[in-house]
Amino acid sequence: MKADPQQAAAAPAAPAPATAIRRGPADLTLSFVNDATVRFTAAAAGDAEWLLADRLAGLAAFNALPIETNPLYTTYVDLRNAHLDEVRPYGTAPSVADDAAGAPLPDGAAAFAEVCENRVTALAMSPEARAGGLILETLETTRARDPKLLRELLEGGCALPENDKLAQMTRALWSAGLLLRIPDGLRLEKPVVLRHVVGTPGTAVIARTIISVGRDAEVSVLEEQVSSSTAPSGPSDPQAFFAGTTEVRIDAGSSLSFAGLQDLSLRQIAFQHRSAVLGKAASVRWALAQLGSRVIRSRIDNTLEGDGSTVEQAEIVFGSADQLFDLTSYTRHTGRDTTGNLLSKGALADKSRVYMKGLATIDHTAHGTDSYLGEFGMLLSRQARSVAIPSLEIDQPDCRRVAHASSVGPIDETQLFYLESRGLSPEEARKLIVLGYLEPVVARVPLESARERLRELLEAKWEARVVAPPAAAVA
Amino acid sequence: MASSAEIVSSEYQFGFHDEVEYLEETKAGLTRDTVEEISRFKGEPQWMLDFRLRAYAHFLSRPMPTWGGELANIDMSKIVYYRKPSQGEEKSWDDVPDKIKKTFERLGIPEAERKFLAGVGAQYDSEVVYHSVREELSKIGVVFMGTDQGLKEYPELFKKYFATVVPPEDNKFAALNSAVWSGGSFVYVPKGVEVPLPLQAYFRINAENTGQFERTLIIVDEGAKVHYIEGCTAPIYTTDALHAAVVEVIALPGSKVRYTTIQNWSNDVYNLVTKRAHAHANSTVEWIDANTGSKLTMKYPSIWLRGEGATAEVISVAVAGKGQHQDTGAKAIHLAPNTRSRIISKSISKDGGRTTYRGQLKVVPGATGVVASVRCDALLLDEGSRSDTYPYIDIQEDDTTMTHEATVGKISQDQVFYLMSRGLTENEATNLVVQGFLEVFTKELPMEYAIEFNRLVKLEMEGSLG
Repeated sequence: MKADPQQAAAAPAAPAPATAIRRGPADLTLSFVNDATVRFTAAAAGDAEWLLADRLAGLAAFNALPIETNPLYTTYVDLRNAHLDEVRPYGTAPSVADDAAGAPLPDGAAAFAEVCENRVTALAMSPEARAGGLILETLETTRARDPKLLRELLEGGCALPENDKLAQMTRALWSAGLLLRIPDGLRLEKPVVLRHVVGTPGTAVIARTIISVGRDAEVSVLEEQVSSSTAPSGPSDPQAFFAGTTEVRIDAGSSLSFAGLQDLSLRQIAFQHRSAVLGKAASVRWALAQLGSRVIRSRIDNTLEGDGSTVEQAEIVFGSADQLFDLTSYTRHTGRDTTGNLLSKGALADKSRVYMKGLATIDHTAHGTDSYLGEFGMLLSRQARSVAIPSLEIDQPDCRRVAHASSVGPIDETQLFYLESRGLSPEEARKLIVLGYLEPVVARVPLESARERLRELLEAKWEARVVAPPAAAVA
Repeated sequence: MASSAEIVSSEYQFGFHDEVEYLEETKAGLTRDTVEEISRFKGEPQWMLDFRLRAYAHFLSRPMPTWGGELANIDMSKIVYYRKPSQGEEKSWDDVPDKIKKTFERLGIPEAERKFLAGVGAQYDSEVVYHSVREELSKIGVVFMGTDQGLKEYPELFKKYFATVVPPEDNKFAALNSAVWSGGSFVYVPKGVEVPLPLQAYFRINAENTGQFERTLIIVDEGAKVHYIEGCTAPIYTTDALHAAVVEVIALPGSKVRYTTIQNWSNDVYNLVTKRAHAHANSTVEWIDANTGSKLTMKYPSIWLRGEGATAEVISVAVAGKGQHQDTGAKAIHLAPNTRSRIISKSISKDGGRTTYRGQLKVVPGATGVVASVRCDALLLDEGSRSDTYPYIDIQEDDTTMTHEATVGKISQDQVFYLMSRGLTENEATNLVVQGFLEVFTKELPMEYAIEFNRLVKLEMEGSLG
C-alpha cells in the first residue's frame, strides 16, 4: 500500500502508521460478548436466576471454546470478512407492536410472526390454527404465561450444540425469542411463516426460535431471514450481525417440513444454528436456500433418537461476489431403522466460496440405518471455490445403506449443447441449467408465493452475475 | 545434477554395508546429542547434520497431531533412535509369539527367512538375489542402494532432491524422521531407461536390519520407468514401538513410477509414514498401498501433480483386526492443467478393528481441465468394528470434473448364500467375497505377491466368523 504523502505531512507526529491488524482466517472479534452485556440482557428481560445462570454458563463456554472444535474442519474456517468489533446487540427483548395480533396473514398461511429488528410487528394466527391449539408467541409471553415450560425448553442450552462457540454465544446473549408449539394430534395444512427482518448497521440481533411438535402432529414452517430497508449497503457502512437458532423437537409420529430462506445483504454477517431431535417415527424435512450475507456460517444438528425416524435435508447455495457460505451438518443416528437423506448443492459465481462439511455418525445402537450424504458444487467462474467434506463415522455394520457422494464440475457441455440445439441462446441455456440444478429445494418451499419469490431471487442473482462479472472471471 | 552418463560410469562398491564404523546404539530418548551422534557416526557432510538439527528443532516445537489415531501412548523418551544395522537385537526364536510363527508357516515362508523376519537371524538367500539383481541394474545405469550409501556415492544428485518433496516442517513425524533417519532405499533411474524387473526393497533391506526411521528417495529421470516394491506379506516382527518413515518420489517429465507397499508390521507398532511424490509433466505416479499390520497406521500417500498432463493413481487397501486402527487414505494435489487422478480405497474392519479413510483432493486456481475421481468402499464384518470416512475435496478451478463416491456395508449375505449353495463352507464363501472386494488391489501385484497376499487375507479372516 502506498502512503498518502498529504496525510503523512498533515500528521507528522503520528505515533505509528495505522495499518490494519492482520487477521487470521478464524479471527473474530465480538467485543460485546462479556459478563456485563450478559447481565444487562438478563436484567432487561427480568430473567429468573436459573436463566441468568444458564446465560453465564453459555458465556463461560463461549470463552473456553475455539471457533471450530472439530479437527476435521479447522482448516476451513474463514471469518476475515466479518467485521463485528463495532456491532452492539439491542440487549432488550423486542417490543410487540399493538396491532401485531391483527397483522394480515400472508396468503395461504396458518400463522405469521414477523420480527423487524427489535420489534415484533406481526404475531397472528388463522382461526383454524387457534382452534387447533397452536401456540405462536414470544418467549417473553411464555415467561409470563408458563415459567416452568420456559425452563423446560431452555435450561442447559437445550439442543444448542455444547461444543459450538457461536451457539453458546447465542445462549448467553439472546434477547429475541419465539415459541411455536404444535399440540398433539394437530395437523395443519397451511404453513406457519416466521420472518426476521434485520440489518440496521452496527446492530446485532440474537434470536432463538423454539419449535416443539407434539405427538402425531404435522406442520410446515417457512422461515425467512431478509434485509430491512435500513440494512447497510454502502462499503463504508458498518456491518450488521444476525445470530439465529431454530431448536426443534419432534415427538413420536409427527412431521415437520421446514423451508428456510436466507437473503440478507452483502453487508450482513449471519450465524445460524438449527437442530432437530426426533422421536419415534418422527420426520423432519429441511429445505434451505442460502442466497445472501457476506459471511454465513450455518450449522445443522439432526439427532435421530427415535426408532424409524427420518431426516430429509436439502440445502442450496447460490453465491456471487465474495460471499462465503460455511455450512456444517451433523446427523447422528442412534435409534433403529432411521433414515438420513442429506443433499447440499452449491452454484458459485464470481469469487464466492462454499464449504460443505457434513458428518453422518452411526452409533452402535443404530441398527438398520440408511444414510446418504451428497455434496455437489457447480463452479460458474474461474475464481469460485467449492470445498466438500462429506464424512462418515460408522460404529454399526448392520446398516441398510451407508453412502456418500460428491462431485464438482462446470456446467455440463452436453446439456448446454442440447438446449442450444433447441433454440436457446447459450446464456439462456446456462441460466436454465443452473436454476434447474437448484430447483430441488425451491420445489419444497411450502407457499406458492414464497416459491415464486425464491425463483425470482435466484434469477435476479443470476442476472446480476451476468451484468457485472468480475474482470478476472473472464477466462 | 550429474548427467546419466556420469552416474553410469561412476564406480560404486558392491558391498552390502557401509564401510563406516557404526555406533552400537544411541541411548534411549531423543536429544540434540543423539542427533549429532548419529550424524557423526555416519560420517555425514555438514549440510546433512544441519538438516538434521533443523528437523530436530522443528520436531520439538511441533505439537502432536490431535486428529487421526490415538498417539498418547507413544513414549518418545523410551525409543532408541539409532541402532547399529546388520545386527539385530539379541532375541531368540522362542520369544517370537506363536501367532507370528503360525503366520509364517501358513504363508509358506522358508525357515531361514522366518528367522530373519522375526529379527532373530540373518537372511542369506536374499543377499544372493540382491547381488545378482544389482549387477543386472548397474549394467543399465540404475542405482539401487541404501540411502546412507546414496548420500556418500551420489552426493550432488542426493542433495539436489533430498527433502524437496517432504521437508522436515511437513509434519511432526516427518521432522522426527528427518532428524534421525537411517536406512531406506536410494534409487535413480537414468533418462529413458525402463527397469525390466521390480526393485524389491525386501531383498535389499533384508541384507541389513529393517529400519525404524527409513528414508527412501526415488528419482526417475525423463522417460524412465520403474516399479518399486516395499515390504512383504509376511508379518515383520519387531520390538520397535514406532516406525516413522519418509518416502520421496520424483517423477521427472514423461516418466512412470509405481510404488507398491505391503505393510504388515506386528500389531504393536505405530506406523506413521509420510509418502509423497512429485509428478512432473506427462509423468505417471502410482501408489499401490496395502496395510494389514501395525497397531496404528497413519499414512496418506500423496501425489502433487506439478506438470501439465501428469497422472496419479492410488489404490489403497486396509485391513484392521482386533486392536488395530488403520488411518489411511490418499491425496492428489492438482497444481497443473490437464492432470488426472484416480483414488480407489478399500477397507475391511473386523474383530473390533477400526479403519479410517482420510483423503484430500485439491485443485488450485490455474489447474484447468482436471479430471479426478475418488472411490472408497468399506466392509464392516462384525459388531464392534468401525469405519470412518473423511474426504476433503477442495476445488478452486471451474472446469474441473470431480466425482467422489463412498459406500460402507457388510458382506452381502446373498453372495455368501449363493456360494454356499455351490458347495463352499461359510468361511470359504466369505473369504471369496472378501478376496473379490480386494481384487482391484490384488490384480495390480506381481504374481507371487498376489498369491501371498490372498493367503494373508484368508489367514486374517480366519476366526472372524463366529
